Amino acid sequence: MGIKILFLFFVILSNNIEARPISYSGGSTLMGFSDNMMDSIYYHYSPTYKYSIGIESVQNKYFNENYSYIRFTYLLNRKNTQTSQRNLYFQSGLSSKGLDNYFYGVHGDWETRRWFLGFGLKEVESAYRNYSDKYYQVGVAPYLGEYGDLHTWILIKTKVNSLTNKTSTYPVLKFFKGNFLIELGYNNKTEWDTHLMYRF
Amino acid sequence: MKKILFLLITFSLTTLANNLNEEHQHSHHQHHSHEGHMHEMLVDGKKLEVDPIRFDRFVENLSNAQIAVVDVNGMVCDFCARGIEKAFQKDSSIKRIDVDLSKGKVLLAYSNGVEIDFNDIKKKILANGQNATGMKVLKI
Repeated sequence: MGIKILFLFFVILSNNIEARPISYSGGSTLMGFSDNMMDSIYYHYSPTYKYSIGIESVQNKYFNENYSYIRFTYLLNRKNTQTSQRNLYFQSGLSSKGLDNYFYGVHGDWETRRWFLGFGLKEVESAYRNYSDKYYQVGVAPYLGEYGDLHTWILIKTKVNSLTNKTSTYPVLKFFKGNFLIELGYNNKTEWDTHLMYRF
Repeated sequence: MKKILFLLITFSLTTLANNLNEEHQHSHHQHHSHEGHMHEMLVDGKKLEVDPIRFDRFVENLSNAQIAVVDVNGMVCDFCARGIEKAFQKDSSIKRIDVDLSKGKVLLAYSNGVEIDFNDIKKKILANGQNATGMKVLKI
């Protein structure tokens, strides 16, 4: 039971760690996520900058089970200023395991070249158990790189999960250069997780 | 032990990133021409408000060209500006493209004689999720 809860915690983590859920018009994004419990590959295409559709393939290492999500993300609101951007997204996914397995939620962010704030709220409905998940994230860029440079973010993330009813806070490092992005998170409960992204 | 390892990796990667950034900045200075200073030119009595090193590097070896300096709101990170470069790369009338993140500008070099359509530029930038709010054109 405890391991199943921990597994669900990992699944939630993999969904929340993603960045930039919608690309530019006509853009595609390929993401990979891996930790000691699961591997996931997620591809999405953005017909416009307002929404993306995609498919996520999940390999559950613990239960030795494979399944997929058809995912849809919609930009509810965006505010651009000269020095900042604020976003609010709706996200959803329907599992290949059946119509009674899906998730939905909102997540948002505000960022300048120096600071980042983000949050996410998510409800997961499944045959196994329904649960909710929240996260909050704050980050700072230690230096301001120019276009084409290697960019670095240092972030702190706090998660609250209704299954475990525990708050978990851990550091996340994000690096990106050109069309490549990598995020590394460490938590004493979840150990290392890695998130790779390539946009094209 | 794992926390120590994480801190070591954090420190190493941040140091590496800083070194790479410093090298990049140093490279900018090495290539910066102090002759001409195109960035100091006025367009309709107004300054271009661009990163001087980046702009002078952008116009280097360009002639018989017109430079559109486009003000863009919401262009706060490299990753989210990638689509802008890709959109303008498809336009054969554009000779050179650059993004000035520090000043929130997109630099576009056109051949002389090309009619620059600000509405088309606005559409391309909006397709990437940002807003073009103004444009200055400099002929060189």
